[in-house]
Amino acid sequence: MNHIKNVSKKKAVSAGTAAIVVVAIIVVAAIGVYLTMVHSQNGGTTPSSQSSGTSFQSSTVTQTASQTSTTTTGLPATLPPETISETGSTLLYPLFNLWVPNFTSMYPSVKINTAGTGSGTGISSAETGTVQIGASDAYMSNSQIAQYPSILNIPLAISAQGVFYNIPGIPNTMHLNLSGPVLAGIYNGSITYWDSPQISELNPAAASLLPHQLIIPIHRSDGSGDTFIFTQYLSFSTPSWNKSIGFGTTVSWPSIPNAQAALGNGGMVQAAQQNRYSIAYIGVSYLNNAEQAGLGYAYLENRAGNFVNFSPENIQAAANAMVPNTPKDERISLIFAPGADSYPIINYEYAIVSKNQPNADVALVIRTFLTWAVLSQYGNSPYFLNQVHFIPLPQSVVQLSEEQIAEIGAQ
Amino acid sequence: MNPRVYDRIYGSATALCSATSILFIFVIGLVLLTYSYPSIVVNGIRFFTTVTWNPDLSGAVTTLNGFKTMSNASYGILVFVTGTLITSALALLIGVPVAIGIAVFLTEVAPPKLSAVVSFLVELLAGIPSVVYGFWGFLVLGPFLLQTFEPFLSEHLYFIPVFDGPVYSSGLLASGIIVALMIIPIIASISRDAMARTPKELKEGGRALGLTDHEVTTKIVFPYAKSSIFGSIMLGLGRALGETMAVAMVSNSAINELPKTAFYPINTMAAFMAQSLDSAFTDPSGMYVHSLVEMGLVLLAITMIVNVLARFLVRQGFISGAETVVRV
Repeated sequence: MNHIKNVSKKKAVSAGTAAIVVVAIIVVAAIGVYLTMVHSQNGGTTPSSQSSGTSFQSSTVTQTASQTSTTTTGLPATLPPETISETGSTLLYPLFNLWVPNFTSMYPSVKINTAGTGSGTGISSAETGTVQIGASDAYMSNSQIAQYPSILNIPLAISAQGVFYNIPGIPNTMHLNLSGPVLAGIYNGSITYWDSPQISELNPAAASLLPHQLIIPIHRSDGSGDTFIFTQYLSFSTPSWNKSIGFGTTVSWPSIPNAQAALGNGGMVQAAQQNRYSIAYIGVSYLNNAEQAGLGYAYLENRAGNFVNFSPENIQAAANAMVPNTPKDERISLIFAPGADSYPIINYEYAIVSKNQPNADVALVIRTFLTWAVLSQYGNSPYFLNQVHFIPLPQSVVQLSEEQIAEIGAQ
Repeated sequence: MNPRVYDRIYGSATALCSATSILFIFVIGLVLLTYSYPSIVVNGIRFFTTVTWNPDLSGAVTTLNGFKTMSNASYGILVFVTGTLITSALALLIGVPVAIGIAVFLTEVAPPKLSAVVSFLVELLAGIPSVVYGFWGFLVLGPFLLQTFEPFLSEHLYFIPVFDGPVYSSGLLASGIIVALMIIPIIASISRDAMARTPKELKEGGRALGLTDHEVTTKIVFPYAKSSIFGSIMLGLGRALGETMAVAMVSNSAINELPKTAFYPINTMAAFMAQSLDSAFTDPSGMYVHSLVEMGLVLLAITMIVNVLARFLVRQGFISGAETVVRV
């Protein structure tokens, strides 16, 4: 017994030492991280005592640069060394990752960190000032703006969303016609089978192919700009949905036992692929994945009563119809646009930015980056946007965005 | 320097370290309470009795009992509490027998070399991040349950009430099984250590009296290690109650609906909090965040109640082995 006790004691002591070592490592690591953070902040503030000189210099450089090149782009020739951070929409994240290396190769002194954390996080992080640029598929509501009046919503590009389905037996060359009220019926549980009269009525040609199978509606389980625009389409096209559910980055989905939920656009594709007879709303930047997964997509009924797909022309048509309504603060839904060819689910992708930045250098870097992003010869060029199936901002919106960008300054 | 000085430093340094745990509990409790206060006032008892969770993000901001909220908002956590309890119960139901079986095999049955290898593997399992379990559950387990296992249950075992009904989703079973897999290594390795501490003299004495192998296990090893095994189960339950990522990936995120059979989607408090935090920040009234924090407070309370209950049971001698160390 004594022997056993001794062994266990020794073991306990060695475990204790190990625990202390582990704790010590964690503490040291935490202190290290803290110091780096403080240091990097000081990197902004310590040199800023000297930097007030350099920033003055750089602003003169900017002025001369802009004077020499105002006719071309209005972008400065060089930028002060600053690090800015972007976080938010996972739909915009791939585009930011295409943009940033190109931008920083033009301006090697600038460092931009990007992260895909969700539109809600993008908005709230920009509001609290933990990042300089929040990315969001949804614009801020009036009540949010009332709470944070210094926050700007700046469109960077136009995106669209498709409604995809997994119905074995319907060839990929054929596309079902679906309308807002029918989709609302599917998602609120009043239309339960693929061969329901409401669906076959819209699809006389495919009526014989529609199976007598339960529809599995898939929605996002995380907060999502895609949920925001999809439920907005349902709300704008179907008064009863608007009254009972409404729209938002999450909504109180009606209880349907066979409804599925998935995490992120990638998860939506995966879930739709796994569940036969399912239906899902997916951002067009995931079109390639969805087609590889064998999903078909629907033609959606627009405000004019026509069934249209998300071809660049139809997205452009919807954008043309809605763009003239864009107000100065650019917070507007582009959903359910009028016009014969307009695709009904398109939206501005927003940068959420505070007018009041910590100092003039940071403000200059943000202004330059956002201006670069919205210009058709740089960030809004087809080279970037085609890769994610977005379409560029129309010229009039670029102008509005530039006016908003000009408002970004120092506190 | 005087070696006693070292001892003093040693003593005060460790005391300081242990003080942080008290501080953390205090700070976390305080933060949860202050942040959830508006929700406690506005939602009241309905928070626990309502099924509907509707933040009403597109509604208008109104003021209720002095706090801002959305006009049609309804915050009821019944679905998530039920889901958490069902998942944990199912995980214990599946996990405990398997884990104890592993522990018995490792200490009483397996030859030492095999035991060492299997022990290592079991401990390796404990180190797999839950998101990896989630991936496996999402890609393999969920589809298998939905397409093969659940139709089988519903066809052949429909006389058992929970299997009587159409197959809707693999969420409930998948969550329970995934969480069971995650708590098995915890329960198995702690139980194994406890059983291995059974004095050889006792076991040899038992054999001398004519006990068979399994009688030695059930009559000598189990009673000796009882309290530690119970402690390991409680530790596993703690993990099950708080498991977030894997459940978020396989549960199908039920909302507004209580499960009626085993073939329903489900959601747990921890998973729902992780899924909703992003949207919560877009609520202009802020009540969404307050309600999620109150949910966190409820989860903390449930976990604490479980721990206190476990300690109470052990103290009162309902569950006491020769070893009275309970690791909770």
